Amino acid sequence: MQVIKISKAVFAFTILLWGFAAITASAVFAEENRTLELGKIVYEKHCVICHGEKGDGKGAFFAVVQEASLASGIYPRDFTIGVFRFRSTSTGCLPANDDLRRIISSGILRSHMPSHPDLPEAEATAVIEYVKTFFAEWGQMEPCKPIIAKKPAWLGMPDSVKKGEKLWKDMKCWECHGDMGKGDGPKSNQLKDDWGKQIVPYDFTSGAAKRGDAPEDIYLAYTTGLDGSGMPSYEDSMSDEDRWHLVSYTLKLMGLVK
Amino acid sequence: MKRILVSAVVLSMLFAATAFAYEVVDVKNGGSIKGKIKASAKVDDLVLTIDKDVEFCGKSQPARMYILSPALEVKNVLVFIEEVQKGKAAPKTDITIDNNKCVFEPLVGVAYKGANFVIKNSDNILHNTNLGLLLKDKRSTVYNLALPTKDQVITKPIRRGGLHAIKCDAHAWMRAYLFVADHPYAAVTDASGSFEIKDLLPGKYKVTVWHEGFAEVTKEVEVTAGKASDLSVTLSKK
Repeated sequence: MQVIKISKAVFAFTILLWGFAAITASAVFAEENRTLELGKIVYEKHCVICHGEKGDGKGAFFAVVQEASLASGIYPRDFTIGVFRFRSTSTGCLPANDDLRRIISSGILRSHMPSHPDLPEAEATAVIEYVKTFFAEWGQMEPCKPIIAKKPAWLGMPDSVKKGEKLWKDMKCWECHGDMGKGDGPKSNQLKDDWGKQIVPYDFTSGAAKRGDAPEDIYLAYTTGLDGSGMPSYEDSMSDEDRWHLVSYTLKLMGLVK
Repeated sequence: MKRILVSAVVLSMLFAATAFAYEVVDVKNGGSIKGKIKASAKVDDLVLTIDKDVEFCGKSQPARMYILSPALEVKNVLVFIEEVQKGKAAPKTDITIDNNKCVFEPLVGVAYKGANFVIKNSDNILHNTNLGLLLKDKRSTVYNLALPTKDQVITKPIRRGGLHAIKCDAHAWMRAYLFVADHPYAAVTDASGSFEIKDLLPGKYKVTVWHEGFAEVTKEVEVTAGKASDLSVTLSKK
């Protein structure tokens, strides 16, 4: 009798626990749903015209962008495959929320992605969560740690520029980007992006890097690569210090240091 | 309250994860799938024209795409089961992808989630190894790594499963294909077009036969304990 009573109590308690878990879980899901609902509204207002209803980059504007010349011939990002060029995370990783936040607020130079500096924080956060839903693996992939670009004091100093110049040669940057960084190296004419479209290496003398032309942006481009574009990651092939020397030389090619 | 909410979410995520994860069990007296893959007609191998780093890579190279025996048996065909719920543990062996004389070695292979890609450059020129997961007709970057110097080796964990296509952006003709899974049930055909997938639990399996130059075939195969089920397929050129 005693045993039955105890087991009944345990049973009741378990049910109670499950009920509680279900209620709290549904509360979380309700909150998540509210975020996604807002995200969808924001997306449909600002993003859908280019990125499309399914997030595959085939919105109404897609055909127009397709016709654009090579220099500005970028087309809306396809969110369904989880490939993002401008990240603070290693190659093959999904971007950090802050990476997406930055692109939303600043836009992308020389592309058709506009800036949205006035978008309220809650709407930006919500639309980021909504964009994630287009790529099925997003929730399953382990998030990668953002890489912090810590600019050294000697950046751009003559000695560092000289070391960077040798690295530009040894690391074969010139093969695509050219001896003088004009994007005219011997391999520049046959490059294709992951969508099979012709792509040109960046001309550092043009002064309009899509990722941004602060030293930290250049450092991150070298470190993380630009997934989908053909630009590989040098995180494993060069030391952190050498990557900064390479940034020093790049600043010279850009005409920002002597 | 917040902590409870978080643990509720974690709990539900754990449940979701266990529902889809591959279950490793001891397989005794399992069945197998074996067979021969042939081409419907003779196909000549292609010759690739090379226009970059010709001093090192040469001006042309055999594509090694259509390697057929006189009996039309096809080498380097991937035979794999995309989704397996339960079975024996996958080996922990890493896969080496070598950039050797301007081609990837191996051209076709099988790798396992949880092990590593060991990417090597045996050439005295820059290569980049750009691994992508094929999602229907799209490609999702897995890693794109620069290997500017000879004998460079980069090791990266294998995190995603599925059919991977590898390219080198610096040399457009270079390519390789890997099937990656959390289970060991995949094989590559040998020079006689033969393959064998062993130690399967009895049941029905959806088996895919894949080759870069032939149309893909998917078949359902029933496996019975202690026996070999035949899967012989004739492929037509894409």
